[in-house]
Amino acid sequence: MNPIVSGLEALIDPTVLVCLLLGLVLGMLVGAFPGITATMAVALASGFTLTLEPVQGLAVLLTIYVAANFGDRVPSILVNTPGTPASIATTLDGYPMAKQGRAGLALVISALVSAIGIFASMILFAAAAIPIARLALEFGPSEMFALVLFGLTVMISISSKSMIKGVLAGVAGLALATVGRDPITGDQRFTFGINDLSSGVDFIAVIIGVFGIAELFDQLLTHHASKVRPISSLGRWWPNKAEYRQMGKPLAVGSVVGMIVGVVPAAGGDIAGLIGWDRARRVSQRPEEFGKGSIEGLTASDTASSATLGGSLTTTMALGIPGDSVMAVMIGSMIIWGIQPGPSLFTNRPDLVVSITAIMLIATILSLAISLVRMRGMVKLLDVPVHYLWATILMFCIVGTYATTNNIFTVVIMLIAGIVGLIMKRTGFPVGPLVLGLLLGPLAESNLRRALLIEGPIGLVSHPISAALIALALFAIIAPIVGRVRQKRTATAAARTEAGNALVKSSKGPHA
Amino acid sequence: MSSRRRAKATPTVIPAAGVAGTPSPADVAPELAAQPSRRLEIVTAAIALGASVAGFALALAIELRTETGGVDPRFWPTLLSLLAGALSVALLLIAVLRPPFDRSDLEAANRQGAIRLVVALVVAILYVVLWQLAGYLVATALFLAALLWVFGGRSWKTLIIFPVLTTAFTYVLFHTLLKVPL
Repeated sequence: MNPIVSGLEALIDPTVLVCLLLGLVLGMLVGAFPGITATMAVALASGFTLTLEPVQGLAVLLTIYVAANFGDRVPSILVNTPGTPASIATTLDGYPMAKQGRAGLALVISALVSAIGIFASMILFAAAAIPIARLALEFGPSEMFALVLFGLTVMISISSKSMIKGVLAGVAGLALATVGRDPITGDQRFTFGINDLSSGVDFIAVIIGVFGIAELFDQLLTHHASKVRPISSLGRWWPNKAEYRQMGKPLAVGSVVGMIVGVVPAAGGDIAGLIGWDRARRVSQRPEEFGKGSIEGLTASDTASSATLGGSLTTTMALGIPGDSVMAVMIGSMIIWGIQPGPSLFTNRPDLVVSITAIMLIATILSLAISLVRMRGMVKLLDVPVHYLWATILMFCIVGTYATTNNIFTVVIMLIAGIVGLIMKRTGFPVGPLVLGLLLGPLAESNLRRALLIEGPIGLVSHPISAALIALALFAIIAPIVGRVRQKRTATAAARTEAGNALVKSSKGPHA
Repeated sequence: MSSRRRAKATPTVIPAAGVAGTPSPADVAPELAAQPSRRLEIVTAAIALGASVAGFALALAIELRTETGGVDPRFWPTLLSLLAGALSVALLLIAVLRPPFDRSDLEAANRQGAIRLVVALVVAILYVVLWQLAGYLVATALFLAALLWVFGGRSWKTLIIFPVLTTAFTYVLFHTLLKVPL
């Protein structure tokens, strides 16, 4: 059957519609509550979508992904607190606009450009996913290993303040992935005679632990009463003609930045938003207004962070390397459904590209509609007492984890992962590389060993694609280190010059 | 604890490779930020080194059904533990010789928070045990009520109605609709 027809046909099912609506409500809510990220919500939802059909489950998870991307703008604009990391850049101009009495306008512009960003990026997904997958299908073991290494190093360079801690977290993830049966020979490794460990450390439990429980524990540890009140005067809602015209250029800049950042493995909306905002300021005729309530700034940041969605999906589905942290969780769920994202997915199931594209587009339209209609009501959500939120999250983490395997051992793993995640967070170790290492570990190990067995170490650098990817991976680790050393040198030099000047002045002072 | 409290945003790490000169709105207010600590850095580096050494020993001790030598199942864990060991030594040297890492993106822990965390963890462990003994419905309702009390809820609606309704809702969702045996 034609893949387009069968892909769309899979959506004509009342359960899929219910799943879409459920995802919409959940996504909007988690987006709007600061402290619950989309990654955490998708990790939790993966617990109760495992028993669904893949397309139904994808409808829930992808819609949460999309809707959270709209909901998180609301607290950014009204209380200067990003609902999820993806809306960090929204606060730069969104909150100043709200303070000027233009909160309604900021909310509408944000929702409109977020929708446009996602639409633009979905064109990229629909057009590029299959060709990229076809290209990657030609990859041998050395190319696959290099690709995994590249994804991991990008994640490390993005998420770490200290490169050493980032690489250590990644290595810890890869090491954790070796627990269980050897991917090639089937020998037991690090199972210590525990039967539950022979199939490996449960990925979903670790994800719920480090992204869900650890975040919650951190809030329990550090929470204090906050006195910021949401902006209550919302003012005008719809932009006028001049304002629409202002949005054109930053919209284009933001879309391009978002799509490029989205395709880069592990880089998501938070980074894209900041880069998009910065790029739009550089090309703007009114750069001085950025950060003080500029419509251009808001447009650029929100378009860029939303336009990462399609790019991230492309990398995830076509290469099997997660495009951002939400996608890492998604890969875990898909594997449990028996779908292995990666080059062979779209050649085997081209209809899934159509289903995924359609789900993303419908989710975007619904999220946009609900954003334009219900934004006033969402402000009230911010007043829900925090103890309800904490208790519910903790319960859902435990029950959701149990639901994935019906085994209490998984819950224990999840709680341990939560404590480890909290310690990592408090000591400056990023959890992203740990999760990515755990997810990609078997892929990395089996491909490296195969490559070494076939051609020896030279095979890794003799193929042009793998050599290029390994070079990029090295660059991703070394460039930030060099950048930081340079920055430090410049700062020291500047401090020395200043101190020198002060000395000259003070020595001249009394004689003048 | 006031019922009007709102969840504070999770402090978010601004990407290290982010945009130079871009303001970072998610940074924590200076008076609430966690302080850098050399002792913490040394302890974490030492733990990482200990774990690497343990990992190396365990990797060499992996039992194989057939000894092939070379690139066998011991190869990758050994490689990883050696890499982790080298990085841990570097981390330890940095912790001793260089100023400790900036932690201003994290909020400082407070005593009340530490107590809240430990109690919540204990309640969670008791929940897992009680679930096995008393079944999902009773354990979950009690668990939610206990947590809400620990987190500062005091009204009867919070301590009775909310736990009962939430337990019923999740039971219908998981057990009845999604066929997850609870």
